[in-house]
Amino acid sequence: MNSNNKIQQKLRHEAGALLEQNKVDLIIGFEPGSLKFTTTPLITRDKGDLDRLVINPFIVNNLAVFLPDIKGPDLKGPKLKGRVAIVAKGCDGRSIVSLIQDNKVRRDNLVILGIPCPGMIELRKVEKLTGKDRDELDDIIREGDKVVITVDGKASEFPISDVLFDNCLGCEFPTPQDYDILLGEPTAPFAERSAGQARILKGISPQERWEFWRREFRRCIRCYACRNICPSCFCQRCFVEESEPQWLMPVPRWQENLMFQAIRTIHLAGRCSDCGECERSCPVNIPLRSLTREMYDLVDELFHFKAGMAKDAPPLMTHYEQEEAKDLIR
Amino acid sequence: MNHKKINKKDLGNLLHQWSKDYTIFVPSNEGDTAQMGLWDGSDTGFLDWYRNTAKPPKANFLPPVEEMFRFQKGKEGHSIKLPSQEHQQLIFGIRPCDGRSLAILDNIFTDAYQDPYYLPRREGAVLVGLGCLKPYDTCFCTSLGISPGESNDVDLMLTDTGDEFLIEEISDKGKQLMELTAGLEDATEDDTARASEAKGKAHDKVTRKIDTQHLSHKLLSTFEDETYWEKVAAKCIACGICTFLCPTCHCFDISDEMVKKEGARFRCWDSCAFPLYTKMPMENPREEKWQRVRQKVCHKFEFYPMAFDVIACTGCGRCIRLCPVNWDICQTLGQLPG
Amino acid sequence: MNTEWEPQLVGFLCKWCSYGGADLAGTSRKKYPPNIRIIKVPCSGRVDPLFILKALQLGFDGVLISGCHPGDCHYQTGNYRARRRVAITKKFLEYMGIEPERIQASWISASEAGKFVEVVTEVTEGLREIGPNRLFDEQQQQNTTEAAA
Repeated sequence: MNSNNKIQQKLRHEAGALLEQNKVDLIIGFEPGSLKFTTTPLITRDKGDLDRLVINPFIVNNLAVFLPDIKGPDLKGPKLKGRVAIVAKGCDGRSIVSLIQDNKVRRDNLVILGIPCPGMIELRKVEKLTGKDRDELDDIIREGDKVVITVDGKASEFPISDVLFDNCLGCEFPTPQDYDILLGEPTAPFAERSAGQARILKGISPQERWEFWRREFRRCIRCYACRNICPSCFCQRCFVEESEPQWLMPVPRWQENLMFQAIRTIHLAGRCSDCGECERSCPVNIPLRSLTREMYDLVDELFHFKAGMAKDAPPLMTHYEQEEAKDLIR
Repeated sequence: MNHKKINKKDLGNLLHQWSKDYTIFVPSNEGDTAQMGLWDGSDTGFLDWYRNTAKPPKANFLPPVEEMFRFQKGKEGHSIKLPSQEHQQLIFGIRPCDGRSLAILDNIFTDAYQDPYYLPRREGAVLVGLGCLKPYDTCFCTSLGISPGESNDVDLMLTDTGDEFLIEEISDKGKQLMELTAGLEDATEDDTARASEAKGKAHDKVTRKIDTQHLSHKLLSTFEDETYWEKVAAKCIACGICTFLCPTCHCFDISDEMVKKEGARFRCWDSCAFPLYTKMPMENPREEKWQRVRQKVCHKFEFYPMAFDVIACTGCGRCIRLCPVNWDICQTLGQLPG
Repeated sequence: MNTEWEPQLVGFLCKWCSYGGADLAGTSRKKYPPNIRIIKVPCSGRVDPLFILKALQLGFDGVLISGCHPGDCHYQTGNYRARRRVAITKKFLEYMGIEPERIQASWISASEAGKFVEVVTEVTEGLREIGPNRLFDEQQQQNTTEAAA
């Protein structure tokens, strides 16, 4: 917590200076949420709000999702416009770079406040571990590679790896790839990449895999939280909303739900930074990261491409090599 | 009034008895998502974990998707086949907030027309309420005239008194069901007293409040305040969680599907959070996110009360609990200027 | 199971090459399985992953995407882009549980009538082996055991 406090102080100071010197018009960061152990995005142009900025193990959102909607300073119209300073963890930073590659955001309108990320705590895991709901917990304190959880006044200690998000456990680049100001020292990956491979379906037949997804997608209510929380889903109009031709019925039947998610994930090829927000936001707990993670690995395996690593690199799907994916085509 | 009681261990038998006349729905956990699901005929383990469902019981009356009818194109025009209507469901364990939500929904489905899908289900259903002794920190039902332990919107009301449930008959339907139910003990005065104590305690556990006093007036005067709504809506990602999982949100969309010469008409949940919701050929009156957020809030706390004299919110807290960006309706209402 | 069942294959063929290849096969009176329904596209780069999945949802047993050999694209790079797209779609849908045989891609030039015949025959026979597409049926397939959760 101590180092978080220091980072937090520095963040507030830097953000304040940026606004004061008129270097940016907007700050996007996190403030304490209305519920225990939550934070919420803070999007503000008001210096008075800045002392609410926080850094803690619950800053889960990928704030890059807000960038494509914020118009450049030269545009007339919407109020949310101008140059932006944004708080970014490793995966968020890669999403930002990916947006720059796709011409959705201009780098010179951005000040990236990088956070070397030690991993975020997944409340669902804490709830499973303790058998209690979030609001019944007294405290969750991270101390290095341990976490102390207090329930009914009784504190118990667990290894931090028990409660970190799966994608954090397998995170390759916890420090943002591109930043203007780094708050803290660069950190090394938490563990081997394979540590984050929970719920990956391997070693079962295609029929069994299809059956698995058929069952999972029966639950989907098509709220589109997975799409809307995703920084890489920036289409003005999503293909599911097309009506001529109407690719998909708007009804939440598993066939349509599955197709929607399959195509969405294919669209994310080379864009997804494995931030895991789709799975976290799903209100019916569909293991969506099992899909995005597979896509992330596939792109790496086939084309040696990792999303959001260099802002000058061409996007995956606009580029090609003379010789690749040979054995897949007759 | 003489109440009945039942030992928790005998709940399975009771449900089994009822299952002869009704399809029983109980809180069930499908893929870690709680909803009112089909009872498997034996398991009452939900009593250990159930606080409230993520998917509201409205899904049992206004399902996420339903077939309205099937049609076939023949030589002499179209022929239409209506779905069979068998809706004798008994929902066990419904919370007072959700009980109220169905009463609120009844207004809309009996207003301009009698909805032939929702209403038969409502009429055929028995709601067995279960007092809520452990409200979430997101619950604010008491601010909307609901007490977590009591309900007049269900048919039978159960209260946990330790090892037993006290059973109160609330409606005529509940009374009739009780007359046909065998093997229940009469509750003593002591039981009733313990139940009232539990109800009182539960009521006090709801600490989150909203002030509904001048809400309608405040919303009206803030309606044109674009700056306020833009600020409030800034972090909203415009997904459908808060509306789809709201027990009183009832908007639906209708679409036809036709393959070759036959097809079906479907209706499914729709949400005012989506820009497509109000899209028209020439324009979209709620193109901007802040307009849609404003619509959601105003519909619940201003327009619905204007039309039906009741706020379309039960304080169940689902929208707060499940929001991926922690957008909190109570904060929005609490910070309204004016 | 069903002796009358014949595989249904949809082919997205580039108008500059593979479509010509198919045409040549016809005019040369070469015989190929009539199981393929051909859709002419301006370039293999036109084929959206959505087309592939939609065809499977509509009940086709397999999808063939065919375009110009690498280096021969009429629009310079369309087939290279198609290659990335198809590779990812094929591998990803395989992960979701769609048999790899159902999604096929090939490079066939306008002069390769022989190759066209060969590819269509092979793909059709492959589909015949794995059986009809029941992926989007409401009910579970009969030969499926309980999936691992």
